Amino acid sequence: MKHILRALALAMCVTLFAAAPASGQERSATKQGFELAPKSGKKILVFRPSVQVGSQSTGGMFEPNGEWTDSAKRNLQVALEKLQTKLGNEIVVAPEAYGEDAQKLAEHMALFAAVSDAVIEYQFFRGNRLPTKKRDNKEDVFDWSLGAGVADLPGAKDADYGLFLYNRDAYGSTGRKVLQVLAMLGPGIPVKSGEHQGYAGLVDLKTGDILWLNADAAMGGDVREAEGADKRAAQLLEDFPGSDLGQ
Amino acid sequence: MRALLAIAATLWAAPHAAAQQMLPPPYQGVYQPQGVDEIGLWREDDEAEKELAASPLVIRDEALTAYVKHVLCETVGDDRCNSVRVYIIREPTFNASMSPNGTMRVLSGLFLRVRNEAELGAVLGHEFGHFESRHTLQAFRSRRTGSDVLAWGALLAGMAPGYRTMRTYQDLQLSVYGSLFRHSRDQEREADRLGVAYLNRSALRPQAAGDMWQHVMAEAESSASVRGLKKPNFNAIAFTASHPPNGERAAYLTELAASDGDARDDGAARYREALATWMPVFLDDQIKLNDFGASDYLIQNLAQNGWTDTLWLARGNLYRTRGTQRDFIAAAQFYQNALALNPALGEAYRGLGLSLIKTARRTEGQAALKHYLQLSPDASDAAMIRLMLPEENSQ
Repeated sequence: MKHILRALALAMCVTLFAAAPASGQERSATKQGFELAPKSGKKILVFRPSVQVGSQSTGGMFEPNGEWTDSAKRNLQVALEKLQTKLGNEIVVAPEAYGEDAQKLAEHMALFAAVSDAVIEYQFFRGNRLPTKKRDNKEDVFDWSLGAGVADLPGAKDADYGLFLYNRDAYGSTGRKVLQVLAMLGPGIPVKSGEHQGYAGLVDLKTGDILWLNADAAMGGDVREAEGADKRAAQLLEDFPGSDLGQ
Repeated sequence: MRALLAIAATLWAAPHAAAQQMLPPPYQGVYQPQGVDEIGLWREDDEAEKELAASPLVIRDEALTAYVKHVLCETVGDDRCNSVRVYIIREPTFNASMSPNGTMRVLSGLFLRVRNEAELGAVLGHEFGHFESRHTLQAFRSRRTGSDVLAWGALLAGMAPGYRTMRTYQDLQLSVYGSLFRHSRDQEREADRLGVAYLNRSALRPQAAGDMWQHVMAEAESSASVRGLKKPNFNAIAFTASHPPNGERAAYLTELAASDGDARDDGAARYREALATWMPVFLDDQIKLNDFGASDYLIQNLAQNGWTDTLWLARGNLYRTRGTQRDFIAAAQFYQNALALNPALGEAYRGLGLSLIKTARRTEGQAALKHYLQLSPDASDAAMIRLMLPEENSQ
């Protein structure tokens, strides 16, 4: 309970007045030397995407919405299937895992989330970059790994690469939008309404190295609708190696 | 004067009598979430439970999980407890929680703080009370209302910037935060009342709820006194306190317990038997927290139902881990006590041997270590222990 309240206090402070930097919300990187030629017959294993959709209250809190989340999951699934042909390589959906496999998978999903958060925080965007990662950026180095343990994940034996997807949407509530307009008209304070984050990562299923990562803190497309989901999926997989997306 | 006294007596007795009748509300049946907020929270919770079920932190012991579920059912009644899923998480802190969709998380540290089924039931019943009253939803809504008020307040303050408006806004902020924390404390009180109400109706001893909080306070006191800190205040309410102070909880829980339940069984023997295999593990986790006062208190508290070899061994390990010369002397004695109860306890010979060697009784120590190697020849540290033995024995 305590941490919830703390998180809330923080969320309020952060979201009310801090407008996110307008530039540099979107970025992708590819591991040096990695190339995925189109039609090279490689198999890409897609893990169960993490999708969270809700609204943003007037005060900036995330309000989860079950129905939106369900329809977004469905829509994104369909959108990914449609994109399959454009990705240039074969896509396999990861099998449902049970028992020890499920434990391994849960650990690796959490690990991927932690590593990509670190990439996004310390290498991708301005503000909190580590000096070593700044240097990496200059030299065009992208060197992160989940470890060789990924090779034991369910379905990993029959595939070459694993694709992880993460998506979180908070649509501004009516109250939030009114606040946004009034705050701009009145005291001229910029208030952000809505939050649309997503990232996608490609992992080598033999070595665990992250080969490609695309992060976007301000995504387009309304995932609650089928058309919006198509746009979102295309944005998530923008610059996907070996694909003809995002050109 | 006498009339006045009589009135005063009835006034005094009235809430008391009401307290004696404290019973849970009738069960509403299996509940399904309603409305956008609640469905959304349950949806997120279902997802979190899916992750939890695959988490490496969960202790996957069917017998232990079934036992905890059984104590929950004993406490809240079979009709209520059926839908609950219990997950035991290996973490040596005192806590349990229950989330909106009926997931109960029990941290392993709880098992050291309760000595019998009634005390365990008191904690589980409290958490179930949060679930039955759907506290997460209420808390979510009050946080949202509070943050909405603050957002509009900030907008108004921004319209007329100045020292006084800023100060007014800060006052508003403080009162909103304060009311959120108070709301949380009130929810805890309500869950406490429900928890003791379940116990009143059950076959377990309801006084155990108050007892447990007394032990929790005594543990905090012991931890503070060993570290030379001031005795904690168990009645002060901090601004950001999410729970009522322990002193208050112990007092009203004792008050609300049905007095005719005092003679009931508290299931201490059953509890001890069910936890027998896990107790050494949980005690070991606790000792590694490096909180000597608290650990020593917990071991002695568990020993109030009688010392066992496990408890003596844990106490020996605790003292040997702190490792002053006087601790080794005490530890050696504790290991000997453990061996008197169970001569086949290899671990105790190991501790005894190491303690004796540290207190310049090398020959006796080496003899004890030899015993250890005889009892557990495949121990992971067997090769290292062999190095401490004289050459002729090491082969």
